[in-house]
Amino acid sequence: MSMRELRPRILIPVLDMVALAYLWSVANLFFGLILYGKELFTIPHWGWMALFAVEGTALWETFGRSLGMKIMGRDLLPRGSPAKRLRYLFLWHLFILGLPVWLLLRRVPQERGSGLSLTERTPGEAPVSWYRTSQGLVLALILVFTFAAAWVIAKVNPLLFIQRAKGTGLFWKELVTPRPSEFIEGFKLIVQTLFMAIMATVFAVIAAVPLSFLAARNLMRGPLARPIYTVVRGTASFMRSIDAVIWAIVISVGVGVGAFAGTLALLVHSIVDLIKLYSEQLESIDQGPIEAITATGANKLQVIRYGIIPQIINPYISFTLYRWDINVRMSTIIGLVGGGGIGFRLVSFLRESDLRGAGTLTLLIIAMVWAIDYLSARLREKLA
Amino acid sequence: MARKPNRSRSVEPAISAKAIITSFFLDWLFWGYFAYVVVYLLNYYWYTVYVDWYGKLVLPAWAWPVAVGGTFELAALCHALGHSLGVKALGLRWERTGPRVKLLHLLGLNGALLLGAGAFALVYFGACRIHGLPPALGREAAMGLGAVLGLVVVLGAMVFFSRAVPGLVLAPLPSPDKWTAPPPRWYRTLWGLMALGLFLLIMILGWHVTDASLKRLGNMVKTAYLWKALATPDFQHLLHPDPWLNQSILQGLIQSIFMALLATVFGAAFAFPLSFLGARNIMNFNPLARATYYFTRGVFNVFRSVESMLWATIFAIWIGWGPFAGTMALFIHTIAALGKLYSEQVEHIDPGPVEAVTATGASRLEVVRYAVIPQIVPSCLALTFYRWDINVRMSTVIGLVGGGGIGRVLFYYKQNTMWHQVGAVILTIALVVWALDYISGRVREGMV
Repeated sequence: MSMRELRPRILIPVLDMVALAYLWSVANLFFGLILYGKELFTIPHWGWMALFAVEGTALWETFGRSLGMKIMGRDLLPRGSPAKRLRYLFLWHLFILGLPVWLLLRRVPQERGSGLSLTERTPGEAPVSWYRTSQGLVLALILVFTFAAAWVIAKVNPLLFIQRAKGTGLFWKELVTPRPSEFIEGFKLIVQTLFMAIMATVFAVIAAVPLSFLAARNLMRGPLARPIYTVVRGTASFMRSIDAVIWAIVISVGVGVGAFAGTLALLVHSIVDLIKLYSEQLESIDQGPIEAITATGANKLQVIRYGIIPQIINPYISFTLYRWDINVRMSTIIGLVGGGGIGFRLVSFLRESDLRGAGTLTLLIIAMVWAIDYLSARLREKLA
Repeated sequence: MARKPNRSRSVEPAISAKAIITSFFLDWLFWGYFAYVVVYLLNYYWYTVYVDWYGKLVLPAWAWPVAVGGTFELAALCHALGHSLGVKALGLRWERTGPRVKLLHLLGLNGALLLGAGAFALVYFGACRIHGLPPALGREAAMGLGAVLGLVVVLGAMVFFSRAVPGLVLAPLPSPDKWTAPPPRWYRTLWGLMALGLFLLIMILGWHVTDASLKRLGNMVKTAYLWKALATPDFQHLLHPDPWLNQSILQGLIQSIFMALLATVFGAAFAFPLSFLGARNIMNFNPLARATYYFTRGVFNVFRSVESMLWATIFAIWIGWGPFAGTMALFIHTIAALGKLYSEQVEHIDPGPVEAVTATGASRLEVVRYAVIPQIVPSCLALTFYRWDINVRMSTVIGLVGGGGIGRVLFYYKQNTMWHQVGAVILTIALVVWALDYISGRVREGMV
């Protein structure tokens, strides 16, 4: 059997098993939390879970249209007798046990033994409402249990708002009553926060522009260049998934709590993010101008100067502005974890339950973010 | 001297007052910033050099008029004699027919300053003479009133004088196809030098304000043990709950992801109906609707400006630490962010179907149902996936401020300087965020 024919026959049971195993564990998670107050992915022995997934898949695929069959667009035809179905069910287990062997044979055992076959679905079938199909019901169960488990795990308890309603009025009143004496100190911190974002963005651009050329697949061809591309791109895309806040808690140990640590954290995250954005832009440039300039006998630097830079300059600027926007937002919270700026003072106010002070600083943050948002939107509009 | 005939000059529209004021104001801001940096650095080095000298470099009373007048004078010189940054930033250029015009322009600006100073003095000293006012209040109020009035007089006089100078026109920059000669390189123009100066001033001041120092960066080397520990993660508690925390890394991660899921789904469900209230093209049928539009947009913008981590801190105090506080924080921020994005989608719909459905006599709700929603559903779904990415990312760190999830685990290990465990948590977060990013990127690609 060719790989093309075998692929759906493997993918369909895998999909179904994953779906059923997920359903099992998410339902157990929910009931475990409700009944025992513990996070248990399977309450009985995990063998039961495996049995449920495998046998459930076998039954589902033999007697109904499973989720995997629906996704891959296959049906078990013809709609033969129950005896044929039973034979299919038994031989299916043989198939699952010896997966790689079937590549050598012409037909998989359950189809040869039963005369049924997984054929591509013919279009033009009347749609059936979801609650009358097995895959619709299983999907609904998965969603219901996912939300039920999420609800319990996230300890969602709207009653808390009612229980704490007594303090709520005072809480919000304090929060929205600014303390004028805080404005001057707060303004200084806003300036500092803004400068953190500016410094991080400027230095990130300086670092990311040259590195982005090393991370562009279309420019890095050749035995020496390809590994460099892989390393730079891989590192960037992996480090990108570490948030600036996490960088801040690590770096603040190295250089001490303060604005410098926050700036460095923003800088690291901005560099790797900009490398990705920039290099994707580089990869989508038009090859025409480059070929034309190469044809005039220009050297590599001249090609970059006259063939590439004119194409990328405007997207680069707009990505930089976008990143600056993010940095301004992030710089307001990086202080919460030791990064300096306005967040640092804000979190110390909140720890002391000085809500008026915290409210004043929040007001300043809102004003700053709003202003910067407006400014950079206008600038980007002009560039576009 | 080549002068334009009188007739055509009378036809020409007067130079826009807004352009004159804005361009000059930008130049003034530039020099004001320059003065600020000078004072800041003076302050900084004075303080650093003489450590025993305690206090701030307070400007004496006479320095304020000197600072205001000096920055104005510098701005006027740049504005009247060269192609200054403020004028360039608006895409404009003063067109002058000769040096005499430049001089007149400069004189006019100085005259405006004198008039403004006069107005200030009149109000300030006049008010000080009124008996019966409490001295402190009277002085401050007079100062404020005088400053406002002085500014109005300065700007008004500036507009008047600039328009009065014959042969002086504030014209837009010629477009590239009208150039007769290549324009001078940026570093040989006044605005180029001013922009360079501005950049350098920002960097110098930023270096000081953010407490940057290469020495402290060098201290990172001393913390090599930290990086070594982070690079050798300890996965002991990946699956087995840490008895102190009563939670394993994996459990924390699952909690984070479920928090993000709840926040995204419920946030989207709330944001979708609200987004119609925040769409200008839907809410323009009467003044009340327009007011609703502005109110909704304003609320979206305010709630969006407060990052979800800050919301988590607020909720942690309000309803207590834990994953629910984190979920609520993500939820509120998601409503605001998605509400704004959705309403922009509503504003960019094709008006054709709306008109067609309206023509059938459908009610406003039916128009929304049959003409608007079908157009925005695909892009809204893509935006929701994008938001899901952000929420997963935020939910992993929201625990650092009391929001539950894996951030709580991270915070605990960090507080106890268990760096091997911190390394394990960071690696887990990075892997999962990266994987989910990749998957949702593929899904979004498939959808759009």
